[in-house]
Amino acid sequence: MKKVVIAGYVRSPFTLSKKGELAKVRPDDLAAQVVRALVTRTGIAADDVEDLLLGCAFPEGEQGFNLARVVGLMADLPKTVGGETINRFCGSSMSAVHTAAGAIQMGAGEAFICAGVENMTRVPIMGFNPLPNPDFFARMPGAYMGMGDTAENVANTWAISRREQEEFAVRSHQRAAAAREAGKLDDEIVAITAKSGAIRMDGCIRPETTLEGLAELKPAFNAAGSVTAGTSSPLTDGASAVLVCTEDYAKRHKLDILAAIKSIAICGCAPEIMGIGPVGATKKALNRAGLEAGQLDVIELNEAFASQSIACVRELGLDLDKVNLDGGAIALGHPLGATGARIVGKAASLLKRQGGQYALATQCIGGGQGIATLLEAV
Amino acid sequence: MTTINKVAVIGAGVMGAGIAAHVANAGIPVVLLDIVPKEGGNRNAIAEGAVARMLKADPAPFMSKGAAKLITVGNTEDHLDLLAECDWIVEAVIERLDIKQALYARIDAVRKPGSVVSSNTSTIPLENLLAGLSDGFAADFCITHFFNPPRYMRLLEVVGGAKTKAQALAVVSDFADRRLGKSVVRCKDRPGFIANRLGVFWLQAAVIEAIDAGLNVEDADAIIGRPMGIPKTGVFALLDLVGLDLMPHVIGSMTQELPVSDAFHRINRPVPVVEKMIADGFTGRKGKGGFYRINREKNRAKEAIDLTTGEYRDQRRADVAAVKEAGRSLAKLFDHDSAHGAYAWAVMGPTLAYACALVGDAADDIESIDEAMRLGYNWKFGPFELIDQVGAAWFTAKLQASGWPLPQILTLAAGRPFYRVENGIRQVLGANGAYGDLVRPDGVLMLADIKLKSSPVLKNGSAALWDIGDGVACFEFTSKMNALDPETMDLLGKSIRRVKRDFKALVIYNEGSNFSVGANLGLALFAANIAAWTEIEAMVANGQATYRALKYAPFPVVAAPSGMALGGGCEILLHADAIQAHAETYTGLVEVGVGLIPGWGGCTEMLARWQALGRLPKGPMPAIGKVFETISTATIAKSAAEAQELLILRPGDGITMNRYRLLADAKAKALALVDGYQPPQPPVFTLPGATAKVALNMAVAGFQRMGKATPHDGVVSGALAGILSGGETDVTETVDEDGLLDLERQAFMTLVRHPDSLARIEHMLMTGKPLRN
Repeated sequence: MKKVVIAGYVRSPFTLSKKGELAKVRPDDLAAQVVRALVTRTGIAADDVEDLLLGCAFPEGEQGFNLARVVGLMADLPKTVGGETINRFCGSSMSAVHTAAGAIQMGAGEAFICAGVENMTRVPIMGFNPLPNPDFFARMPGAYMGMGDTAENVANTWAISRREQEEFAVRSHQRAAAAREAGKLDDEIVAITAKSGAIRMDGCIRPETTLEGLAELKPAFNAAGSVTAGTSSPLTDGASAVLVCTEDYAKRHKLDILAAIKSIAICGCAPEIMGIGPVGATKKALNRAGLEAGQLDVIELNEAFASQSIACVRELGLDLDKVNLDGGAIALGHPLGATGARIVGKAASLLKRQGGQYALATQCIGGGQGIATLLEAV
Repeated sequence: MTTINKVAVIGAGVMGAGIAAHVANAGIPVVLLDIVPKEGGNRNAIAEGAVARMLKADPAPFMSKGAAKLITVGNTEDHLDLLAECDWIVEAVIERLDIKQALYARIDAVRKPGSVVSSNTSTIPLENLLAGLSDGFAADFCITHFFNPPRYMRLLEVVGGAKTKAQALAVVSDFADRRLGKSVVRCKDRPGFIANRLGVFWLQAAVIEAIDAGLNVEDADAIIGRPMGIPKTGVFALLDLVGLDLMPHVIGSMTQELPVSDAFHRINRPVPVVEKMIADGFTGRKGKGGFYRINREKNRAKEAIDLTTGEYRDQRRADVAAVKEAGRSLAKLFDHDSAHGAYAWAVMGPTLAYACALVGDAADDIESIDEAMRLGYNWKFGPFELIDQVGAAWFTAKLQASGWPLPQILTLAAGRPFYRVENGIRQVLGANGAYGDLVRPDGVLMLADIKLKSSPVLKNGSAALWDIGDGVACFEFTSKMNALDPETMDLLGKSIRRVKRDFKALVIYNEGSNFSVGANLGLALFAANIAAWTEIEAMVANGQATYRALKYAPFPVVAAPSGMALGGGCEILLHADAIQAHAETYTGLVEVGVGLIPGWGGCTEMLARWQALGRLPKGPMPAIGKVFETISTATIAKSAAEAQELLILRPGDGITMNRYRLLADAKAKALALVDGYQPPQPPVFTLPGATAKVALNMAVAGFQRMGKATPHDGVVSGALAGILSGGETDVTETVDEDGLLDLERQAFMTLVRHPDSLARIEHMLMTGKPLRN
């Protein structure tokens, strides 16, 4: 087995869908700038890149065509670099990392750019033309269930109170705000050039979030439920990218290695409780690596909703002090296709920053799946 | 200068900002300036803040959000040079002569030659405003007095000075008429002009007489309100609405400027109760409360001021025997032997007499005074029309008996009416004592005038067909609130056949306050209650057939709505070749509010419009989704501009700003379509079928879980989803208009049998509000 490493991570600022500064930036322009910045910052010779693997959850409209190829050409990658758009909903760009790792093991390339993008302003969640299969819907309505409803199901099944969810959300905002304040997000963020000027700042973080404020919100998905807009990740516009290559290649070219990929996993679950997806995937990945959850030093668990994050923390026995050190998606935002590459890149960077041995990046996926990536310090 | 292409408004207070918004509503770019805030910071903050507030205000000063983009905001220190591009500069700053005059000097230094400058002053005479200013400025200067809110109040009082160029007045008046939709009334340079001079007299008389007679405000408003065709706000609730503190300004100016002989001084005296209210901040709805208030500290109890003690007490139901006993006769009310009857006369006798006294003083003619009160104070009848109701002779005699001085015009009238109809033409008594024809301006055609001189071509209990000349017929709804019933459909069917034979084109238009409130629900409920399902289905099918016949008739059809055009009243618009809408048109498919869906082709037509014209992403769902959202939430366009956004109006349809010009514009539009007219091609739909229905139902189920949609909303939306998805069709097939109309009819019949829909209809009929079941 070759050793596959993460040797670079950048992302755009994440801003609120519709209200945020990226609303007017096309997703292809957004992703191309992030990919270009990854190449510049890592110093990789672009000719060496085998493929641009780009995750996107709703690859239609401005995110349509073969977005990966379009973005590669827009970013002036050499024409010899390929482009594949990958859709596994929220797990899309983490899947891109897995695909790259697999290809590297097959000897099908040494270096890959794994990116993700979602402009949820310009291409709405569910897309422009949702056309579910009527007969299948009759048989299994949960397969198309809205994410908020699955979050309510998880909250009910795991008996997670509204207060717990709100405490989780407040912590996410506090951590993200503190990280931003301390300049800990500066290295990963790429300023995006738009017609209106340069966009540098994350737009979703609300440092002023309080338990009292959250307690006043109405339930967002079910009048009798516990999940509110404040305990859900916001609709977000953003892009991210990581460089995935062999350790050998990185060392030869003096790239800054953040972490190595130890194991990966996918695991399905019931669509009605899709938020619990990380549990199965993480267990598989830990098992494949011969590790226990207690050995993890850094955990990036995507906060689609506070309810599902808490359920996963509880089921996996994770140490909350190690989860989402610089805040999670509730505070930072969750541009669907871009989140996987962000949390892999973030987990790798944190592992290096914190000086631990093992890191986990994991997330839930609509339709009932989890995906996990285990990282190891190099 | 002959046209106005750009306007500036200086002063971004309620009036100035509202005027700027309305100029923008007309599609004209406008500069809005105010002073630099004293506290520093953003130098344009005042004008910017005014625009931001207006975007949130209800009723909306803007006819569409897009109109706000036509306003350029700035301040009077940095941006006065912007005035150089403007053809009309409206001053709407604080009512202080020194400030206004200093501003005029600065405006004069930068404005382009020939641009018109006008003041929106309501208290300062033009003569005083111009004191010390150059003749060149005076030639281009006039007063343009708007009423609040400028979008909705149709009156514009225009005052020219001795030196004002006729052309300046003509250009501004024409712009105000055609582009801003105002009815321009020329006034003399007298305090309060016409409407406020008489209006303030009336209000003051009503307040002091009520206090003197020991009346309560509820009874006073019930007397000086509906019985006179005056809005039910009467006097005291109206003062609450406009603000009690507004009165002293106009009263002050009238006190100062009017000669001692003026009858105003007879009723002008201090009113301590009101003065105390103003001093304590009880200035009306904008303040802590007015003559009426809702007491938040007492569980939102409705309270009213006791005029004797000045203290609030629980509101009472008005109980006025005089009004009930007088019925429709104003004379009986004025003569009623009771404190209430005496009050009615004590207020209205002097007020109507004062109106008479204004002829020759504030206005040249009586029709200007009537128009000013109809449009400036929303009186249904002008003062001279009210005198005609009781009879000029009767009025003169009663006035004399009351010891009130007799105005000259009453002597001149010598008992004759102020208005009369001669040979089908309405005439008015002139200041010379002779009658003259009431001549409409060019481009104004009123059905009311046509009715005076002709008989309907066809007529039944619910509608009529008129010949409006040049080969154009006009179909008029005549039922209560212009509700649509089988009679309407019957006459529409007959009219289509008659127009085909005898006319070139058809206009659908009426002069009610509302174009049509939709199908007659009472009739539908009655039929449902006796289980007359066959009859109901026939009513739906007949409506569909009639509207289709209208759509495919071999002549052009132009619908010209004003006011509300709801439900079936909106559907008839959708079947016309073109729409010429009054800017103040409120239209939408609101059937879901009564548990039904549009069954006369409304779903089908909206889908055809959005598929053909919607600027939406590709694929089958966006148009379906948009129409579903619009109909399932009973979205109403609150202006013709918003109706354009909803595609009820299509590109090429027209908007008329001035209500009086609507019929002429619609007729011209119809005639323009005559040459080479071809009926439209029927649309063919490619729809996804059941899959779309699943997607729409999923969305509705989500709203239900959120608590934003009720259980029966789910049922009604489900039926709507069934229509818009195309029923059992598939993307490989097509559905024609008949197919969709069948789906509409079937869905309507399912819903109209549903007890929850019937409960909604009943509730609407009883309360006028939708039932959320």
